[in-house]
Amino acid sequence: MNQVKLQPSGLQVHQASDVTESHLALEADVVVVGSGAGGAVSAYELARQGKRVIVLEAGPYVPSQAFTEDFTESLHTLYQDQGGQANSSGDLLVLQGACVGGSTVVNGCVCFRTPDFILEDWQRDFGLSELTAEELAPYFDEVEQNLSVHDNGEHEIARHGQVIRQGANKLGWSVKPLRRNIRQCGLTGHCLSGCKTERKQSMLVTYLPWAQAYGAKIYADTRVEKILTVDGEASGVEAVVTRQDGSVVATMTVKAPRVVLAAGAVQTPVLLQKSGLANRSGQVGKNFACHPSLLVAGRYPQPIHPWRGAMLGVHVDEFMHPDKGGFVLEDGGFGLVEMTMLAEPGTGKPFMDYMADARYLAGLVTLIHDHNVGAIEWDGERKAINYQLSDADFPSMKRAIKAAARLHLASGASEVYVPASDKRVIRSEADIDEQVDSLENQPQHLRMVSYHPQGTCHMGADPDTSVVKANGETHDVPGLYVADASLLPTSIIVNPQITVYALATRIARHMS
Amino acid sequence: MNSQLQATQISKIWQRGMARRQFLKWGLGGVAAVTAVAAGSFALLRRSPRDEIAPPDWATGLSASEYHLFEHARAVLLPVEGTNLIDSSTVPVVQNVQQILDYLDAPTRKELGAGLSLFDNVVVFSHGCRFVDLEPGKARELFDRWGEGSVLQRTLTTVIKQLVYSGYWQEPATWPPTEFDGPVSEKWGLAYLGNAPLPQQPSLESGQEQA
Repeated sequence: MNQVKLQPSGLQVHQASDVTESHLALEADVVVVGSGAGGAVSAYELARQGKRVIVLEAGPYVPSQAFTEDFTESLHTLYQDQGGQANSSGDLLVLQGACVGGSTVVNGCVCFRTPDFILEDWQRDFGLSELTAEELAPYFDEVEQNLSVHDNGEHEIARHGQVIRQGANKLGWSVKPLRRNIRQCGLTGHCLSGCKTERKQSMLVTYLPWAQAYGAKIYADTRVEKILTVDGEASGVEAVVTRQDGSVVATMTVKAPRVVLAAGAVQTPVLLQKSGLANRSGQVGKNFACHPSLLVAGRYPQPIHPWRGAMLGVHVDEFMHPDKGGFVLEDGGFGLVEMTMLAEPGTGKPFMDYMADARYLAGLVTLIHDHNVGAIEWDGERKAINYQLSDADFPSMKRAIKAAARLHLASGASEVYVPASDKRVIRSEADIDEQVDSLENQPQHLRMVSYHPQGTCHMGADPDTSVVKANGETHDVPGLYVADASLLPTSIIVNPQITVYALATRIARHMS
Repeated sequence: MNSQLQATQISKIWQRGMARRQFLKWGLGGVAAVTAVAAGSFALLRRSPRDEIAPPDWATGLSASEYHLFEHARAVLLPVEGTNLIDSSTVPVVQNVQQILDYLDAPTRKELGAGLSLFDNVVVFSHGCRFVDLEPGKARELFDRWGEGSVLQRTLTTVIKQLVYSGYWQEPATWPPTEFDGPVSEKWGLAYLGNAPLPQQPSLESGQEQA
């Protein structure tokens, strides 16, 4: 075996600008589609086993040093569809990383293990009897250790987190520091624009360079168009290498007896649909959930400077269990551009006054345990994310907004802004029911964002009702695996990155 | 199609859409459908003095009517009187909007263009003039009212507001009055930590070494 050589910084990535031929023909033992949480972990684990691994990433390679800490610019350079990926009605922004490292580059570092009650649902409802808390614990332990996951220290709880914690304590609600994958946090507040000084333990500075140390090769700007099969078994992929403007530089084929799909819960089902594979159950692209979240802002008498300090500090887990509400509240920092998306204090002067007082705002992110009611569809030209908040989930969303408002008020906020298309401001407990109960579950009424698409190629024991086995291999196509958040049979309420890391590790270790 | 006929047809479609609360599909897809039925060229439904003003040379990604719409929306949506905020006329708001629109794929851009045209023109039925000629106070009332309106109205107002707001607040010149720090890592001299060390794996084979 070759020497294991870890680069001290950056990655060696084949990019469109390196390509001199019109067609590239490659061979590997495993081709991994996508370089985010699932793809990077798969690549490392398999390369470490001595397999020849090729990773294909549709997005560009942007080294950390090139990050700008400018959210608008980052949306255009690091995110899927330049930050414009949305559901069909346009009221839910689905933010996913689209660069080497995927969403792990632009997430908020929050780490939760899959809640036990979710795993119990999976065992009971999907026949995933082997995915117990005990089975997964060693995988969680390992990835958490590898990624420096730790409870936020006191210095990592910014002013917005401190006031929220005080309010939660006043209400007697359970509030805890968030756990994050970060080393020596620089407290810049720019997590969503990528961590310029390589403190966030994203795939860009962990599993990808580790995979490369074991010989994995990474190709950026390379969009897989089709999965290939021979005699019904996976045999590789066809791809195109594209410039930033989308024009094709070269075509590519990779022959490999193992194909791991880890392009995320939107792109992975699209690729399967384009390829016409693994869909005996009719479930490819179905079962989409996404934790539709709101950022509820409160105005405080004292300066908060919500962009200063670690972006995410504490969370309220009082209502996490579905029997108690099925939602989580996380304190969330934000910058000015993000602020414009949050609230509607009124057009013109009221809005500009609100922005002029930006430093007095703190935010609460609501995450709900939504039902898997959406679908990803490919019509031959464009993908569609067909998802509307279901009527079954709307009460959870309203409960989460009410709890966020109550928490802001208890924390000392004088005004709370409901993130709706019309002006809704809460100034006292007495306002809460009136302002929230009159919300309608209509498109374009709430300003929702999703960072956690999931569920579109879900695991299950029954090949007639699920796409993938518990070991990650598709029921229908031997050698074709899925290792991203598409796997999750139900939404998991919490930020899913650790779940994906653990499942991808387990899948790679079980791969024959 | 003459102006009067266009007006009648658009009015009918608009009324029908309002009654149903959604057209063929929610959002901008619905806007495109409506404008397609309206036979497209109703940007000239009511002439505006602004039609005579040529857009600046840089506005190659916007139609003339889109340029005027966003320029008017900038003035309407970003008043700074009574604050220490930066006058939006000194910030390249519409240029930034154009840049954002450049990122849209062609079908979405076309749908948005149709929606913007509809927004500009449909005001004729309620106010007797296009949006670009609406007095700022009335224009703000319109935005507020549409924010409480149908799906289509909410979609259009949200899209226009978000584009204009982003176009303004992304500019570093607008940050100091709010005390927003902007990029800080270089300013603070934060060191790059580089790649994380390889995990200690018990299964590492002998003879392997970390460079």
